[in-house]
Amino acid sequence: MTTENTGNGRRFRILILDDEPIVCKRLKPAFQKLGYEVETFTDSTSAIARLKEATFDIIITDLKMEGADGMQVLSTAKSVAPETRVIIITGFATLETAKESYRKGAFDFVAKPFKLGDILDCVRKIEQEQRGNAL
Amino acid sequence: MLRKLRDILAFWRPRQRVLPFGVLFKKFQSILERNNRILELMADMGDKLGGEYVFDRQYILDAAEQQADMVFKLISDLSILTQRKNVELFLAFERIRQAIQEELTGTHVTTGGSYVIPLKDVGHDLSELAGGKMSNMGDIRNRLGLSTPDGFVITSRAFFDFMQQNGLLAMAREGINAWDGQDDAALESLAATMQERIMNAPLPRNLTTQVLAALDALAKAHGTRNIRVALRSSAWGEDGDASFAGQYETCLNVPRDEVMDAYRKVVASTYSCKAWRYRLFKGYREHEVAMAVGCQMMVESAVGGVLHTYAPHIAEGVMVANAVWGLCSPVVDGNAPTDTIVLDRAAPYTLRSLSVGDKRRQLRLAKGGGTEWCDTPEGLHDVPSLTVEQLEHLAQAAMSIERYYKRPQDIEWAYDGKGTLQILQSRPLRFWAAPLSTEPQLEDVTRNAEVVFSGKGLVAQRGVAVGKVFVVDHSTDLDTFPHGAVLVSRYTSPRYSRVMHKAQGIITDVGSPTGHMSTIAREFRVPTVVNTEVATTLLQTGDEITLDATENVVYRGSICALDRFTLTEEEVFEDSYEYRLLRRVIKHTSPLNLLDPHADNFKPSSCRTYHDITRYIHEKAVEHLILISERQGAQYLSAPKRLVTDFPLGLMLIDAGDGTSCAPESRTASTSQIESIPLQEFLKGTECSEVWCTDPVSVDLGSFMSSFTRTFSSSLASPEEVGRNLVVVLKNYMNINMRLGYHFNIIDAYISDVINDNYIYFRFLGGVTEFIRRSRRARFIATVLEHFDFRVEVHGDLVVGRLKKLSRDRMAVRMRMLGGLVGYTRQLDARMHTDEDIRTHAQAFITAMKHFLGA
Repeated sequence: MTTENTGNGRRFRILILDDEPIVCKRLKPAFQKLGYEVETFTDSTSAIARLKEATFDIIITDLKMEGADGMQVLSTAKSVAPETRVIIITGFATLETAKESYRKGAFDFVAKPFKLGDILDCVRKIEQEQRGNAL
Repeated sequence: MLRKLRDILAFWRPRQRVLPFGVLFKKFQSILERNNRILELMADMGDKLGGEYVFDRQYILDAAEQQADMVFKLISDLSILTQRKNVELFLAFERIRQAIQEELTGTHVTTGGSYVIPLKDVGHDLSELAGGKMSNMGDIRNRLGLSTPDGFVITSRAFFDFMQQNGLLAMAREGINAWDGQDDAALESLAATMQERIMNAPLPRNLTTQVLAALDALAKAHGTRNIRVALRSSAWGEDGDASFAGQYETCLNVPRDEVMDAYRKVVASTYSCKAWRYRLFKGYREHEVAMAVGCQMMVESAVGGVLHTYAPHIAEGVMVANAVWGLCSPVVDGNAPTDTIVLDRAAPYTLRSLSVGDKRRQLRLAKGGGTEWCDTPEGLHDVPSLTVEQLEHLAQAAMSIERYYKRPQDIEWAYDGKGTLQILQSRPLRFWAAPLSTEPQLEDVTRNAEVVFSGKGLVAQRGVAVGKVFVVDHSTDLDTFPHGAVLVSRYTSPRYSRVMHKAQGIITDVGSPTGHMSTIAREFRVPTVVNTEVATTLLQTGDEITLDATENVVYRGSICALDRFTLTEEEVFEDSYEYRLLRRVIKHTSPLNLLDPHADNFKPSSCRTYHDITRYIHEKAVEHLILISERQGAQYLSAPKRLVTDFPLGLMLIDAGDGTSCAPESRTASTSQIESIPLQEFLKGTECSEVWCTDPVSVDLGSFMSSFTRTFSSSLASPEEVGRNLVVVLKNYMNINMRLGYHFNIIDAYISDVINDNYIYFRFLGGVTEFIRRSRRARFIATVLEHFDFRVEVHGDLVVGRLKKLSRDRMAVRMRMLGGLVGYTRQLDARMHTDEDIRTHAQAFITAMKHFLGA
């Protein structure tokens, strides 16, 4: 139920990007409650700028957005910090986009609407895996 | 005579080309499929309101579009089936679709809605029309069941029409656009001009008429000739995230002939310099400005005051109330000594401290209107203004409001002359978010807490509940349910709605998040987890617990930090735009108004929601299929036959190919002539004497039969016509549509040697009997179907069971079971006295079936 810190005692950091503010508003407190550090963005330009200056353990990004889309965010994230895990969320899920996401290195692909519990589980899974690697 | 002539002439009309039965039947099946899909979509949209799902605006758009698309095609299918144009249905559809479209684009505010809405009809969903403050009052009165002064709202539409008619909106917009953002004197001058223009502008004639009529109705309802009202501002967003406290005008004790001027005064206060500056500071755009005005009966309060549900500056876990004799405004204005009372935030709200003020003067209503100060009688200066009972009642009401809004509240209240608590206003308190940073991290607090159980069941409504457990079973009198307790029960039950305003949370062993109780819990925003399986075995009355219905964990003891976390979340999800929008859309899709097929309103023009349309079409489609088989049967298939059975199934049979061995012209068919495999098996099941012939049946059968005849229109009500349910058969296929009493049963099945083609679809929708019994019957059916490997969904009183791809033999066993089930359930709702009966009957039925089926 509760969250452990990563191996080096640092809190897990999550970046959430979705152009619909409601998604950020729902996800942020849910992750904060579990002890994660959360930053949210509703435009991909600011999110990408932030990715280049700080490291995040997990990125949760929408797929379809004005400007840079989720795939571009995924590519940027992987290029600046290959160990960052990326979860793609989208209201326009198709098999093709899912495949493409995985091919480009997404950790998971989640269709909207989704259960809050499911994405929390997904993040916990990543965290456990990372912690295992850190030990 | 005229009719006769018309009939004769009709004979000469060219005959309509009749479509082959196969085509028509396909349309019929398509109607059933769409009907089911639409109902599923509705249930799905309802689920989204509980907070368990993350969705966005796109979801609402998609869901609305999908539904519209399906309903449109449903009407088209019916048009082909009946070979009629169904103009009325298309018009009803278009009206509903338009209304939804207006909700989605947000244009309904200015294009729809009336000038006046009674408070009894106001709630958060109407906040664009009623404004922030009054929609809160509506919630408090209509959802939480607390008393508020009676009255109505003069809507934002009135504001828009009034302002637009006088060119004042444009003036405000142009004025503020031209303002440089610095020059205070210029803003003041603009504000003064606006206010002056508003005070002198003529009101739309309809507006005055409607307001005065509403006022007269209010006076009549309260038996007063000399009505006095309070006019309160209710701007968009007021008492929401931005409180606008003290920005706008309130006019107290206004007589009838001054109401319209008071209305202007409140509207004019929208453009006071202070309010304008506040809006600019808060980032409000000019087009977001709208002022609805509440018009409420004046309360001649004996005691009044203000309560803050959370007061961390005094102590942890307390609330504080200030009270005075007479009207409460001296407390708000801070210009008189008051009693200060500190109480526990948790039930039973124990008194922590009381400091009595020297209350020499009090504010009262003046005879000629307005208010006046007068001396307090000698003996009352320094006695507490509230009794212990009044305090407890006030605290309970305050905590109900806080739980609903998930925010600490600043509440204005009064006890009137009759001793009734009236809530005058409630707005969120925001000053205390800061201290949290000094407290231990939430995850540390929960890590060290004892977990009673975790990850069990399904969340029906998110939130956090702290309180003592109160276990409710069928024999527990809900009257003794204590305020602030957590309701724990074996089953969900809609009767719990009676205590939901008192409950902190709900946990059940069995139940579904789409069930009726869960829907009500969402209305009340009570954190609810259902289907935990273990709650009643692990929790006892009196246990202090914290239910975290966001993470789905129950902790031992009271973890206030979790509660606080919820109370300080950035946004209360139920209040966010998308949730409000979804709720508004659902209002046009899901409610069912067309219940009784024989009521006068059972017609296309009465359809107010998509659900009404689908219900209407389903009824008409079944009716029509019987009709066409009778009229056109000879041409395309055998004539409809009455199926002769020992049991009152009342089936009319249409053989669409190799389903029977009787002569095409025969008007009856016996069970031995049935060749259709699914129907053969189904009928065998109905012969299971164990389920048909138990003792009490004879008593119930009479009442059952009377309900049976009730569903048929007068033209069909002659004894030989009773029981015209429809079954269409082919060799491997069967589709039964049964109307028993007011409930509907559909079984659609295909059984052959090709395993991959085999399926059974079972659908049961409860009737109009008392909901509690219907829902028990629905749960019974679900339990049985699950036992026999069906995939089951229960949405309220709708049960859908699906089974696919089993061997012919295994399918046959299940069809027989369904025959038994139909027999068993038709007698059952009258016998569902308690929730316990669900299990008893399920066991009895399954045991009986075991013997009968040998399975």
